[in-house]
Amino acid sequence: MNELLPFVIIGITTGSVYGLAAMGLVLTYKTSGIFNFAHGSIAALAAYAFYDLNVLRGLPWPVALLLVVVVLPPLLALVMERIATRLADATATMKIVATVGLQLAITSALLAHYGSEGLPFPAFLPVETVSLLGIEVGIDQLVSTGIAATGALAFYLFFRRSRLGVRMRAVVDDPDLLSLSGTGPVAVRRSAWLIGTWFAAISGLLLAPQIGLDALLLTLLVVQAYGAAAVGLFRNLPATYAGGLLIGLLTALATKFVVGSETLAGLPPAIPFLVLFVVLLVAGKRRLVEVGAQLRAPVSSPLLTPGATKVVVLVTLVVALAIPLVVGAKVPVYSNALVFVLIFASLHLLVHTSGQASLAHAGLVAVGAASFSHLAVGAGLPWLVAVLLAGVIAVPVGMLVAVPAIRLSGLFLALGTFGFGLLLERVAYRTDFMFGTTSTLEATRPAGFASDTVFYYVLLGFAVAGGLVVAVVNRSRLGRLLRAMADSPTTLTTLGLGVNVTRVTVFAISAFLAGVAGSLYASQSLSATGTPFSAYNSLVWLAVLVLFAMARSAAPVLAALFVAVAPAYGGGEAMVDWMPVFFGLGALLVALHQAGARRSGDAQDADARDIGSRADERIGGGSAAAERLAEVTAANTARNGSGAPDGARLRIGASR
Amino acid sequence: MRTGLRVDGLTIRFGGLTAVNSVTLDAPQGRVTGLIGPNGAGKTTTFNACSGLLRPSAGTVSLFDQDVTGASAAARARRGLGRTFQRMDLFDSLTVEQNIALGLEARLARGHPIKQLVSSRADRKAVRAATEEALELCELGELRREPAGALSTGQRRRVDLGRVLAGGFSMLLLDEPSSGLDTAETVRFGQLVSRVVAERGCGVLLVEHDMALVMAICDYLYVLDFGELIFEGTPDEVRGSDAVRAAYLGSEAA
Repeated sequence: MNELLPFVIIGITTGSVYGLAAMGLVLTYKTSGIFNFAHGSIAALAAYAFYDLNVLRGLPWPVALLLVVVVLPPLLALVMERIATRLADATATMKIVATVGLQLAITSALLAHYGSEGLPFPAFLPVETVSLLGIEVGIDQLVSTGIAATGALAFYLFFRRSRLGVRMRAVVDDPDLLSLSGTGPVAVRRSAWLIGTWFAAISGLLLAPQIGLDALLLTLLVVQAYGAAAVGLFRNLPATYAGGLLIGLLTALATKFVVGSETLAGLPPAIPFLVLFVVLLVAGKRRLVEVGAQLRAPVSSPLLTPGATKVVVLVTLVVALAIPLVVGAKVPVYSNALVFVLIFASLHLLVHTSGQASLAHAGLVAVGAASFSHLAVGAGLPWLVAVLLAGVIAVPVGMLVAVPAIRLSGLFLALGTFGFGLLLERVAYRTDFMFGTTSTLEATRPAGFASDTVFYYVLLGFAVAGGLVVAVVNRSRLGRLLRAMADSPTTLTTLGLGVNVTRVTVFAISAFLAGVAGSLYASQSLSATGTPFSAYNSLVWLAVLVLFAMARSAAPVLAALFVAVAPAYGGGEAMVDWMPVFFGLGALLVALHQAGARRSGDAQDADARDIGSRADERIGGGSAAAERLAEVTAANTARNGSGAPDGARLRIGASR
Repeated sequence: MRTGLRVDGLTIRFGGLTAVNSVTLDAPQGRVTGLIGPNGAGKTTTFNACSGLLRPSAGTVSLFDQDVTGASAAARARRGLGRTFQRMDLFDSLTVEQNIALGLEARLARGHPIKQLVSSRADRKAVRAATEEALELCELGELRREPAGALSTGQRRRVDLGRVLAGGFSMLLLDEPSSGLDTAETVRFGQLVSRVVAERGCGVLLVEHDMALVMAICDYLYVLDFGELIFEGTPDEVRGSDAVRAAYLGSEAA
């Protein structure tokens, strides 16, 4: 027992911080209906702000702390409240994309500005240890647990007892009712966001001394709060805090138990995502009720006429064929872009055609890349066979991702798939099934097609084939079923369709394309590694794809050009670093724009419906109608031969 | 009279609230059966239990003499039960024609991965024929290429109805099909339902607030109030019932 105690203490220390972060997350989600994927980057932002003020600008730590804790959160909260309110009218996918974009923008900006190397974080709390139950415990650990626990408890009491807390709960229940009673929901939402960002900032400041200053790590650490939020079913605050403790404890204890195992080394940091994934799956749709209205995607008419589309496709093809003749040494850049066309086409099928936001896509591509290397280099299979088989191997993994799609939809599907992607990255990437502990595998190009220029044309062939597959799927019965499913799965069910089969099928097709794309990626770069396929990149890809959503079917091509080609021209390293910031902000703006467009569209709709409404003449309705119905009645009477006099039948209707 | 949909002792509770209490009703084929009652009486809840979107707390639902209480919504649809929705759940991004075609296509595709992917020649032919017929019945020919999301309420009602008509269901559950229609549209709608029932011999269970329409086209009525069946009978008998008058029609009809 004694050797476990240190791990228990670490678990409680980190767990209570996760709990605090998760409570902030749940509070803002409940009051605004927006699940803030940027919660973790707010934590990272706070930690970097402290570092900047304290270390780079030399302010004494209490002053820096004061600025970060007192000045920063209200500013962020104001922005977040504005964003969240505007997003209330967005579709489920756009709500997700917006804050994913924000997270991307903040975290990438931190990475670009301060560099991706971890920086030493000033230990502002005393690091001496005291003896507690025979264990040496750092004072900083005690203090941070204390702060987190006090914060959580104080907030809980405030939420249950104070007037503002009661109003917050009212907003959660029914914002319209609250505004009727004379309290502005805006003010309440603003305070909720203040508390939410506050908790995020504090958890960033408490976590940074323990892990150093690393924007990605800090962001992802707070992502662990998703697991805690899931334990509280995204609504129960005490259960959320308990979930944080549970995750902290499980992670710490797992660290102890996997010591010495190379294969399982990735398990402890993956535990929060395991918890997230499992809780979401077990809870299912019935217990997970999304906050906020469920809106559908706006109706869009095709951008181009069929004829114009053909011309555009033809011109694109000619340009693509000519590229190696024009760009000289930059051919590999364009080869890369072709691989990305395939990746984005497979994601497009899920996100746009079937309306399911999947955040595990990088994992599927990674499975393809690793399988390709094992098959082509390890087993010595012919190149083409290895590429196609790698696609086939990705299919069951894709079907596994479809399991949350059956159990969940909207936000919870996104969270479930994100959890799955992180789980895959943390646990599976480093095993021998995938990239192994050396994390880099060899990959080959087909004999005779190995030169950059020739291989470009091979990739072009695959990109065109992939595009054709997607086009054929879109035009097939499945395409119609998928678009219908994006609009209303329930209706499809009542018409006799097994929608779960549809979901699994589209994930399988998408996974096959993603697996092939992974093979080609490895083949193009002559090596397979997990780095380009981090779960974080799933977020980047989704954001970029949505950025070009307006271009419809052309979105995958534009997204690929943007991701792979744009950085190669102009800006150099700095440009590459800052690109994701623009992706993120762009995705946020697209989501906000779409929400704005919806709102004005809805206003017109409402007017039109008012004119058509006749709610006031329902019972005992208009006698004009009654008269004209006589005709119908006559037909009816003749049919069933009951012979009831028409007048009698219509008396109620005409009685006014 | 061939059996259609039968509901026996249906009870649905949401937590402590009993929304529908021991309701028994029979909607045979070849007839229009009405289910009426004030708002909140449990009509749509009953519908949801019939079409398989809700699990009843007690009671059974049977379709053409087969117990379907435990069957999924899709399985019931494949046995011939079609329904419309009060809020007109159209596939907004598809055209009118595609919406209507899906009424039959969804059923043909079932839960079969290959059939969902591609359609056979015979399927395509059947779908085309059913779509054309439904487009004509619902007078939607001119709107066939319009996206469903761009239609007016009255047009959307017709698409919703056309979709279940194309599906060739033997039993139709229509949930407030006339709300949002103007009087002329309501009249045409009533004629259409009567015609379809006469021609196809299918059964209709109709939830409706428009009393004139209900009285005109229904053969038999069930009256719900607070989740309980308070009366059943022919339209004449319902009109003569004091209980119905008190619960539903109020002083207006007195």
